[in-house]
Amino acid sequence: MMVDSQWAFRPAGHHTPADARPPARFAWRLWAWAEAERGRERVAGCHYRPGWGDDVARWTWPTALPILVVVTFRDRLLATIRAAKPVLEAPGVMVVGSEVPNLLEPGAAATLIVSQDLDVGVPVEHHAEVKRQVAELHAFRASPEEPSVWVPREPGLLEVNFIGMDPTQDPAEAYVLDDDQLPLLVFGALSLVSPGVELDLMETRVRLPRAAGLVLEKLVTDRTGEKGERDLLVALGLLMTATPDDIDEVEIMFRRLRPELRHVVRSNLTILSLLEARPGMPDPGPHRADVAALLRRLEGEEGSDP
Amino acid sequence: MNPLMERRLRQLRSRVLVRSWEYRQRQHARGAWFRLRRVLTFAAEAYIVSPDDARQLVAEGRRPEPAGDEFEPPKLIVFATRERVARLRGARPVPVRLTRDLLAATCLVLVPFVTPASRGRTRRA
Repeated sequence: MMVDSQWAFRPAGHHTPADARPPARFAWRLWAWAEAERGRERVAGCHYRPGWGDDVARWTWPTALPILVVVTFRDRLLATIRAAKPVLEAPGVMVVGSEVPNLLEPGAAATLIVSQDLDVGVPVEHHAEVKRQVAELHAFRASPEEPSVWVPREPGLLEVNFIGMDPTQDPAEAYVLDDDQLPLLVFGALSLVSPGVELDLMETRVRLPRAAGLVLEKLVTDRTGEKGERDLLVALGLLMTATPDDIDEVEIMFRRLRPELRHVVRSNLTILSLLEARPGMPDPGPHRADVAALLRRLEGEEGSDP
Repeated sequence: MNPLMERRLRQLRSRVLVRSWEYRQRQHARGAWFRLRRVLTFAAEAYIVSPDDARQLVAEGRRPEPAGDEFEPPKLIVFATRERVARLRGARPVPVRLTRDLLAATCLVLVPFVTPASRGRTRRA
């Protein structure tokens, strides 16, 4: 069987016009679709800077009554974005976590079934500014149990979960930025994340991370249990939209990790490859060849060690 | 510090400690599971075969995967092309996952994904 994978064995930093576009198998559908739709305005208040259009395609293995789940969840996600505009447009803030692939789906289709919250990454250097903006979050209030989580005051919105990002932090470490109003658990793995594409959604400017950093953040974090496996499938969702340049960047960033973390990434890729399909999540089955090619590429001359 | 955040922080740090402990054991018995998963990651298909068939494939020059020796009872795992597997009577396909069937099997034949580079580096498959 011949598998033509975009991830296989192309040295990082070596691009030719031929392989720069279009991306191969893994992302070609989305790319071709986005190209075709470039420039067309979306309905329902969603305007994608890259030019994504109206159609709602799905990446995920469908649930029994997908449309009911998806429409409701997408509406809540978009309403949450609108309600969280004051903080989402604060300096350096990014949406991180499981909602990113939902937002990257054509039309922000949001077909991945993930937890009902919006993870908002707050750079520690901008904590004070974000804290000021939090006062404008009229639709939410801080959870008395967990003050980094803001819960909606009314139905129809998701929780907003504030997470700290510190680019100087070791990816394996974590610390608490203590604060009376907006304390943050600062996850070291988010130091791998940097600003990427901006979307206009519900008249709100939403920054998303660069795909490579977020993929690595997912793969470098310890993943156990159902939540852990779903997080790996979220990483798969991100890989499904990754361009060849993104994959090059994954490789470059991977090589900068220390050996233990490189091992964790490889280990998580093997787990991802062997996962069963789950309703409402990307199915790893059709993408196993790409995961294998990525693993082979990351191992490179290093082989199976360390 | 908020007690819940403190607890989450403690849990995170505990997991990192366990992960480091597992990493230090990667070359020892505990690392066998990673090596088995890794071999399976490179397999497009998996078949349970009889010991005779597996030995025949080895006799034809296919190298048993070392990961299989790390289990008790040991597993004879070899890669072969789909065409070669098709000539094995009784080869039973199983999902490429850590299912009970796959884990119980003592002889496995894996069909590799074929990529441009792996074609160059593949041993006899």
